[in-house]
Amino acid sequence: MANLHMVVCLKVVPKPEEIRVDKKTNRLERTDARSELNPPDMNAMEMALSIKERYGGKISILTMGPPYFEPLLRVGLAMGADHIYLLSDRDFGGADTLATTYTLAKGVEKIEGVDLIFCGEESSDGATGQVPPGLAEWLDFNQITMINNIELAPRKKTIRGRREIKAGHEILEVPLPAVVSVAVASNEPRFMDYRIKDWAFEEERMTVWSKDDLDVDAEYIGVSGSPTIVSDLAQAATRERKREFLTGTPEEIADKLKVILQDAL
Amino acid sequence: MEQTEQTTKDQIYIIDDAKWDELIEITHGAAAVCYQCGVCTATCPWGIVKDETVSVRKFMRQAQLGIDNGSEQLWLCTTCAQCDASCPRGVVISDVFRGLRQVAWDHGKPEEGLPSVLWSVFWNQNPWSQAPSQRFAWAKDLDLPSFDPENHEILFYVGCTASFDKRAQKVSRSLVQILNAAGISFGVLGDDEPCCGESVLNVGHKPYFLEIVDETMKVFQERGVTKFLTVSPHCYDVFKNHYPQMDGFEPVHYTQYLAVLIDEGRLKFEKKLKHKVTFQDPCYLARHNNESQAPRKVLGAIPGITLEEMENNASDTLCCGGGGGRMFLETAAGERFSDLRVDDALYTKADILVTACPACISCLEDSVKSKKLKDFAVMDVAELGAQALRAK
Amino acid sequence: MVASLYGVKQAKKAIWIFLEQEGGKLEGVSLELLDKGRQMADNANWSLVGLLIGKDVSEIADEAFSYGADVVVLADDPLLDVFTVDAYTQVTYDAIMEHKPSVFLLGATPNGRDLAGRLAVRVRTGLNADCTNLNLDKKRGILVSEVTGFGGGIAALIEMQNHRPQMATVRPGVFPPGEPDKKRKGKVIKLPIKLEADTIKTKVVERVVGEGVDLTQVPALVVGGRGIEGDFGLMRELAGLIGGDVGATRPPVDDGYIERERQIGQTGVVCRPKVSINCGVSGAFHFVVGVQESDIVISINTDQEAPIFDFTDYCIVGDVFEIIPALTAALSSVKELAHG
Repeated sequence: MANLHMVVCLKVVPKPEEIRVDKKTNRLERTDARSELNPPDMNAMEMALSIKERYGGKISILTMGPPYFEPLLRVGLAMGADHIYLLSDRDFGGADTLATTYTLAKGVEKIEGVDLIFCGEESSDGATGQVPPGLAEWLDFNQITMINNIELAPRKKTIRGRREIKAGHEILEVPLPAVVSVAVASNEPRFMDYRIKDWAFEEERMTVWSKDDLDVDAEYIGVSGSPTIVSDLAQAATRERKREFLTGTPEEIADKLKVILQDAL
Repeated sequence: MEQTEQTTKDQIYIIDDAKWDELIEITHGAAAVCYQCGVCTATCPWGIVKDETVSVRKFMRQAQLGIDNGSEQLWLCTTCAQCDASCPRGVVISDVFRGLRQVAWDHGKPEEGLPSVLWSVFWNQNPWSQAPSQRFAWAKDLDLPSFDPENHEILFYVGCTASFDKRAQKVSRSLVQILNAAGISFGVLGDDEPCCGESVLNVGHKPYFLEIVDETMKVFQERGVTKFLTVSPHCYDVFKNHYPQMDGFEPVHYTQYLAVLIDEGRLKFEKKLKHKVTFQDPCYLARHNNESQAPRKVLGAIPGITLEEMENNASDTLCCGGGGGRMFLETAAGERFSDLRVDDALYTKADILVTACPACISCLEDSVKSKKLKDFAVMDVAELGAQALRAK
Repeated sequence: MVASLYGVKQAKKAIWIFLEQEGGKLEGVSLELLDKGRQMADNANWSLVGLLIGKDVSEIADEAFSYGADVVVLADDPLLDVFTVDAYTQVTYDAIMEHKPSVFLLGATPNGRDLAGRLAVRVRTGLNADCTNLNLDKKRGILVSEVTGFGGGIAALIEMQNHRPQMATVRPGVFPPGEPDKKRKGKVIKLPIKLEADTIKTKVVERVVGEGVDLTQVPALVVGGRGIEGDFGLMRELAGLIGGDVGATRPPVDDGYIERERQIGQTGVVCRPKVSINCGVSGAFHFVVGVQESDIVISINTDQEAPIFDFTDYCIVGDVFEIIPALTAALSSVKELAHG
């Protein structure tokens, strides 16, 4: 399928351990945090690249976000993607799942001819993890989520995805076009190809679309397109380990552990 | 593209001109003078532990012909430089291996696990997948001053492993104690401390390494760094031999620095210890940098320490198995050089196996544990030194 | 502003639970949601409705009643035998649009998430995913959901004011399952099914549950190190009780006590369980890398100075062979209570 057109949705996220809550504004303070590509999105990219290696086709990166995401998105080009589409507009800001998936879907429609969309299974920064099915619904695409392996039947135009469930697995098959979400750590993302690095980071022009470039209904984007609101925000305990020593007889310790396990699981 | 086929009994190699050019360029033609005597294969320590050793000679031949046969053995090389040292033609064979690895990266065939190491350096500025914001967590309670070239004699460059690995952190802390005891004014870069890129270079990703060099040099220039000491011989080696040697740029391994302090009378170990020790020379000191005297000088300055040498010492040292990216790859039980090294150490009847490298400590200590040895310890020169400082 | 297909005024004072079932039994998370839903419904004086979809599943309704449902809406059809997101979304959409509940809750299982994600868009409502707590504000009739992000570092309360149904998915195990009351009865409402076979695009090619291992995905990990002296039977027993699996550090793998694919760490598998219990593990750095993403780390070691304790939330200085059997005994007695 030399004309197979794949889209990989990449999200730029702040490194989790560097996020703080601003007590005054009750908002996330992420300006000082270092950013990275959402780790499962890297696995999604690797899976798309493995398909491209075997069957040809092209890979477009699709992201909604501010222009300063650009250098990080170019990492995806250096891994082997072909082009970047960045959906960027102040009015896209504050979007929850409904508005985000709507906007991304409009981006996919504008790109045209997309057969297969790869997303990470969820994002590490507390987004709802529901983008892949929502995106599939807006586009009326089929979906297979949380897969760790994919097979493409190029002539039949179907894909099979394998996912782990309940100490077992299932293999689902759907016709293209489809959205898949890829399980974190399901493969090892290849490192950037330095032979194309100048092209990826300097030469290739990125396509940036604002709300006026997309056929969007203003009611459906950003804050106005988002049913949910954050009513309160709190910093949970830091990631630093407690280092609390439990003492007592084995039975006393066991009882303490039982409570801890029941709370955690 | 011109292609010639050369048929042997069991393998067909494609000789590819483009690849030949690429290899010659990457390795600066280092393999050209090799006359295939095979001393390299004979000296390679894999021969001691593997039934079928790594044919270094064959790799050299491939480098000469521009053949890339995708052998997994390519990733076994610990860059210990035993072969470099014995090559009668003076070929820097470890450079050729790095070059062959670079070709493998370019053609999408690196060893599983290594791309993750490069990504970690890219996202976290360390190869250990640790949060960069935690780089100086080990020194939280030590109140180390931020390096200031006006006021500090020297920068203490800690390096990734000695910053994040709990075991190696003890070495870093010991070194701080020693420097303080000697009254040295020194500073640190804190969370700004960049990764030297050693693991990137030695797993063969030269282009990325060169980018790291640029970024690191930028930080060093901004912070006015010239003379600095490192905990790891690996960091020391890349700074000394693979970084641009600008005016005043002076990396030293901490054992070298301490040796000078001892000579100058600034550092004295006054507490008597009672140990018979033996010393594992790190490849990146003894072979790559011809430095086997400094650590011995420091050990010799500690009262009550007697040094019993192992069979293979100084520039003839046996690798611990942790170099060349092997710290990030699994080495099968029964094939670990460090097991042999611990046996060598036990033979000397020493009670402490001393070394001066975080990679050596990690590998050797694993072997000591797996042999379930009691009353036998692996320590760093700095740790032993710190024990010998006069109690305050 | 975007509007949901029905609003606050049309919504009925009902909490709906998606009843996930396999092999004639309800999933644990569905039982947990029924119990939580019952508490919220009682508090607000609302009704609790279970949505049961499948083939020949009507008998499961009684189980739902015993755990608190007032009503079970039943979609029973051969085409609904196995979960496919196409068929289940359509049936659920029909049910939701007919009955217009104010709240709809699902388990954050693979199928629950698939269904929730599609349905929320189809009815143009919000979705609070992977919630760690729920509360129904009875004055306002608003569901307040707690979610965490950034590796658990940030907790947020989320609500929606104008959109219905208020949808949320909840991770399995967040709420304890309730006690069944076999005498409780309820009403079954059968849903007319308007499904065509050719609208179902998803084909389940293979489905095997309860087979092998994938340590990267297990919720609980019991890791044996050198200190357990190869006694992985003990580890397996504990892992079985907490729905987890067994991993190992390098030494027991080297010694042949356990297969290499269970080795955790830099040169093995990197896991991100909710809990890891490290038994007789010293804490070599290359191992720690493999469990540092755990939400909670528990370690047992005889050596108080073992480096593993630096990476541990709950440290126990003691003998694994005393602590683990005691823990196993404590956990087994709980299990008997729940099922007895």
